[in-house]
Amino acid sequence: MRWTLRIISYGVFVVMLFVLVSIVVSGVPYFFRPGFFTAWPQRAMSEGGIFPMLIGSLMLMSLVFAISVPVGLIGTIFLSELAPRRISMFLKSLAGTMNSVPSIVYGVFGLAFFSVKLGFGTSLLSASLALSTMSIPFFMNSAVEFLRAVPKELREGVISLGANKLQATLMVLRASKNGILTSLMLTLGRAFSETAPILVTGAVFYSTKLPGKLTDPVMTLPTSIYAIVMNLGERSQWMAKAMASLMVLIMIAVYSLVQITRRNKRE
Amino acid sequence: MSDVVFEIKDLYAFYDEHAALQSINLKIWEKRITAIMGPSGCGKSTLLRCLNRLNDLIPGFSLKGQILFRGQDIYQIKDLTEYRRRVTMVFQKPNPFPMSIFDNVAYGLRIHGITKKSILKDKVEQALRMAALWDEVKDKLKKPAVQLSGGQQQRLCIARALAVEPEVLLLDEPTSALDPIATTKIERLLEELAQQYTVVIVTHSMGQALRISDEVVFLYEGRLIEYGETSTIAKTPKHEVTKQFLTGKIG
Repeated sequence: MRWTLRIISYGVFVVMLFVLVSIVVSGVPYFFRPGFFTAWPQRAMSEGGIFPMLIGSLMLMSLVFAISVPVGLIGTIFLSELAPRRISMFLKSLAGTMNSVPSIVYGVFGLAFFSVKLGFGTSLLSASLALSTMSIPFFMNSAVEFLRAVPKELREGVISLGANKLQATLMVLRASKNGILTSLMLTLGRAFSETAPILVTGAVFYSTKLPGKLTDPVMTLPTSIYAIVMNLGERSQWMAKAMASLMVLIMIAVYSLVQITRRNKRE
Repeated sequence: MSDVVFEIKDLYAFYDEHAALQSINLKIWEKRITAIMGPSGCGKSTLLRCLNRLNDLIPGFSLKGQILFRGQDIYQIKDLTEYRRRVTMVFQKPNPFPMSIFDNVAYGLRIHGITKKSILKDKVEQALRMAALWDEVKDKLKKPAVQLSGGQQQRLCIARALAVEPEVLLLDEPTSALDPIATTKIERLLEELAQQYTVVIVTHSMGQALRISDEVVFLYEGRLIEYGETSTIAKTPKHEVTKQFLTGKIG
């Protein structure tokens, strides 16, 4: 019995490790092709590099960061520090529900609302808003737990010295800053790897230039992988492998950073 | 007889429908140590927290009656910042802020508008000396306060409460999370502080109340059952519950 369990659990780890390693290994050799990170793709993605997808993903992430962090943080503070208990519980379960909505639904919502209704079109702006709509509840759900974990004695200690609510809230943020940072990294990591919400709102398969303004469409890593795999022939597949490998490596880096932050908190 | 600092008149306190305190009448005298005693759930923490108006934070809390601080009804005060500077509080569990030792003590000063470095430095040193912590931390003021031991953290919290130069120091079972040696240090400290400050301490330890307090207040099930000079009550308790407390049958 014990051995059976052991074999099963090792088996699961082996499978997971195999998936990660084979994705990374299958793509890494292409990183060393000349111009892989700095050139534009050519001949239906069979030659050249991933420069516009890389920059596109970075631009998208910066916008998601700029939108989600202030909104998410204000929402989190409201949930944990300001809202009456009942409202807070209602909003918390709302955010939980939004977390389990399939990501393509955010895409379709973004298409209908940001692209069409608000007239932002297929653009960097629509895509980042659609991604943020998904990221904000994800961030709040995770960050609010860290704020709530701050002992009430800390809030009371600040208040008992004559501080106001704002000063007490700042102290709570200070006490939970590692946790907030963790939530932030996980949120951006998830937004970075999401494909569906941007597929229909802002990402294009090919563009001849980088987005120069918010209403331009954008090429990104995950949507380009999808496009290559779905539409292009054998000669282009290496680029999808290379991008997949790069994305997995970036996610491993994000999660390692999260672990390091958590460990620092414990010390 | 010294001056009256707090006069509590016919005080009732409620958490929603539940009456945590009923019909409390009490005077707290200047520069004395008043111990509030009683079994768990008797309302002693509630009473203490009323004096700093910390219960305002709890949803569903309400209050009837009056608490006069030097003649002024504290529940009529609009801006509590200055009042809470005059009446500060130390909690059961040491609650150092997530910042350096220096910044912990300076925190209260800063929120009361003192920002000049040299003044802060002097006042922080003075407060740490009063809390008998200066010698232990003077070389590591920049270190995070959470690195201190439990007893040191509690003395840091006392220093933080003293730094704003209050008149009254409220302590809610300040030694219940500490070992006997740290407890002794804090008790000695409180006796010294009582020469300058009015000290109100909640404790469930009869021994502690007998050792350090001048006045003792017994609460039982939300009612005040006995209060007066500690030495008198220790010798001639009037109430049955007080007797049981003194003989160690409860408490």
